[in-house]
Amino acid sequence: MEIFPALLSVVTDPTLLFAIILAAAVGMVVGATPGLTASAAIAMLLPITYYMSPIFALAFLYVIGKSGRYGGSVAAILFNTPGTAASAATQIDGYPLARAGKAGKAMKVATISSVIGDLMGDIMLVIGVGFIAAIALKLGPPETFAIYFAAFVVIGSVIGNSITKGLISALFGILVAMIGLDPISSEERYTFGSFELSNGIGLVPLMIGVFVLGEVFAQLEERKKAKGEIKENVTDPGGHSLAFEEYRPCVPHVIRGGFIGAGIGVLPGLGSAIAAFISYGEGKRRAKNPEQWGKGALEGVAAPEAANNAVSGPSMAPLLTLGIPGSTIGAILLGVFLIHGIQVGPTLFLTDKELVYQLFACGMLGILAYGLIGYFGATRLARLILRVPAPVLYPLIFMTAFVAAYSARGSMFDVTVMTVAGFAGWLMRKFDFNVAAFVISFVLAKGAEETFRQALLMSDGGALIFIERPVAAGFLLLGLAAIGFRIRSIMKERRMAEGGLGDA
Amino acid sequence: MRDMVEGIVLTVLSLIAIWGAWQVPAAGPGDTWAGIVPFGAAVALLVLSGLVLLGGLQAMLRGEGAVPFGDTGTLDILILFAIALLYQQSFRWFGYILPTAIVAPVVLYIFGVRNPIGLVLSAVICPLVFHVLFFELLGVFPPYGEVFDLGDWLWG
Repeated sequence: MEIFPALLSVVTDPTLLFAIILAAAVGMVVGATPGLTASAAIAMLLPITYYMSPIFALAFLYVIGKSGRYGGSVAAILFNTPGTAASAATQIDGYPLARAGKAGKAMKVATISSVIGDLMGDIMLVIGVGFIAAIALKLGPPETFAIYFAAFVVIGSVIGNSITKGLISALFGILVAMIGLDPISSEERYTFGSFELSNGIGLVPLMIGVFVLGEVFAQLEERKKAKGEIKENVTDPGGHSLAFEEYRPCVPHVIRGGFIGAGIGVLPGLGSAIAAFISYGEGKRRAKNPEQWGKGALEGVAAPEAANNAVSGPSMAPLLTLGIPGSTIGAILLGVFLIHGIQVGPTLFLTDKELVYQLFACGMLGILAYGLIGYFGATRLARLILRVPAPVLYPLIFMTAFVAAYSARGSMFDVTVMTVAGFAGWLMRKFDFNVAAFVISFVLAKGAEETFRQALLMSDGGALIFIERPVAAGFLLLGLAAIGFRIRSIMKERRMAEGGLGDA
Repeated sequence: MRDMVEGIVLTVLSLIAIWGAWQVPAAGPGDTWAGIVPFGAAVALLVLSGLVLLGGLQAMLRGEGAVPFGDTGTLDILILFAIALLYQQSFRWFGYILPTAIVAPVVLYIFGVRNPIGLVLSAVICPLVFHVLFFELLGVFPPYGEVFDLGDWLWG
C-alpha cells in the first residue's frame, strides 16, 4: 500500500503540515462565509501556486476544497445561509437545531459526520484509483473520446435546472477553448487576426473571472435585491456538548451517506449537492423518527454532511486516471498539474505515483485538521466571520481578482480576459446558464478534440469507429441515457408540481 | 419574451461561431480539418438555440407575457463592470498603484462604505498592501504605466 510511506513522508515534513493546517483553516473560513465558495478561493490562490512546489501547491488547494465543503455547513447551521449548494440539505435540520439553542451540538454532529464521510471517500479512492488507472491505460482514442462525450453530456444535462441551458453552457466552454492555434495543424481558429487571441484563453484568468469577479457582481446584485439581515441565533450553553449516546443513531446514516457520496463522487459532474440531497432523502425514508426530520433531527444533519464530504475524494478518480475533472475544484486542480508540467491521466500513475499518493495523504491529514478546528472552534469562527463587513470584503476580493489574474503570467491580456469572463460569468448566473458546466467543458475540450481527431485518423475519417468498438459505444449510449433520464425526472417533477404533490 | 430574446442572442452567437469555424482552412492530405470540432459545437449550439427560441415562441402563443424586471441592481453591476474595464486598461497607462488608489475607495463606496476616513485610508492601504504582497514578496514584475507610473516616482 503506497499510502503509508506517503503518509509518513508528509507527517515528517513540517512545512507541508503547516500548509495543510493553514489550508484547512482558510477553507473553513471561505466555506463558512456566505457568498464565498471554495472554488472562488482556489481560483484566486491559483496564481500563487506558480511559486510553490507541485505537492505543496496541490495539497494546499486540495485541502481548501475539502475544508470549504465542510465549512458550508457552518453558515447553513448558524446563519440559515448555505455557504455551498450542498450544505442546503444540512440547513433543513441544522438551522432548526440552532434556533432551539443546539447550534454547538449540530455543529459537532456536522463535523464528525463530515470527517467520517470524507475519510470513507478517501479510503475508497486510495483502494480503487489504481484499478481504474490500470483499466484506463488500455483505452484507445475512440474509447477516451466516448468517455469525454459522456462527461460533456452528463455535466451539461445533470447540473442545473435546464438541460438545454446546461448543454449550451458546455458548448460555450468548448467554443471558448477552441480560440487560438490548432495544436495539430497550427491553423488559427476564432482569433480574428489578434495576436493575443492566437495564444488562446488562459485557464487561470478565465477561472478567476468566472468564479471570483462573477461572484462579486452577483453579490452586488444580491445586496440590491435583499437588504441582507442575518438573524442572530439564541444559543443555550447546554446545547453545545454532544454525548456518544446522542450520536449513536446518526452512525448508520453517516455510513450510508458515505457510500452514497463516494458512489456519486466518482461520476463526473454530479457533485456534492446531489449526493447530500439523495442521502438526506434516503435517510429520512429509512429513519425511525421521520416526523422529526426537518424540525431539528441530528440524523438530518449527519446524513447529508457525510455524503457531501464523501464526494471529495472519489471525485478525484476521473481527474487523475482519465484527466476528466468531475467538479469545478477538480478543474482548477487540473490547472495546477498543467502549470507544473505534470500530465494528468492513466500514465500519471507510472510517472508521478509518489506525488499522487502524497496528495491523498495530504487530503487525509487535511480532513483531520479541519475536523479538529471545526470540532473545537466552529462556533467561534462563525462569530468572527460575522464581524467582517460584506461591504469591505467584496471590494477587497474585487481588487485581488485583478492582481491575481495579472500575477499568473504577468500578462495584461489575462487581466482583460478575467474582466470579460467575470461579466460573462455574472450574465450566465443571471440567465440561469451553468457556470460549472461551462468551465469544466472548457478544461475538457482540448483533450476531447485530440482524442476525437486521433480516432478519425485511425479510421481514415470514418465516424463508425465510435460505434464499432463496444466500450466506446457503451459510453456514447451512457451519455444519451443520461439525457433521457434527466428529461424523465424533470417531467416527473413538473407533473408532481402541477398535481400539487410537492411534498418532497 | 425572455426566452425569445435569449434564443435570438444565442442564434446570432452560434451563427458567428459557425462562420468563424468556416474560416479555418481545409485540412492537408492525411490530416483532419482543424475546424471540425468548433464547427460541430457551433452547429449543436445553433440547434439548441433553436429549441430555446421555440420555447419562447410557444410561451408567447400561450399568452405568457413579459416577466416584470424589478430593480435588481443591474445598473450598479454595469457601472462596476465599466469601472473594472477602465481599471484594467489604466494599468497599461498608469501602472498598478495610481489606478488602485483611485478604484479602491470607489468600489468600497459602491458596496456601501460611507466612512470618509475609511475611504481615504483605503486609497493608501490597498495599493500598498497589494504591491507588497504580489510585487515585492511574490516577486511578480509590476505592470508598467506607459503614460505615467507612480511606482517610478515613488521608488525610482
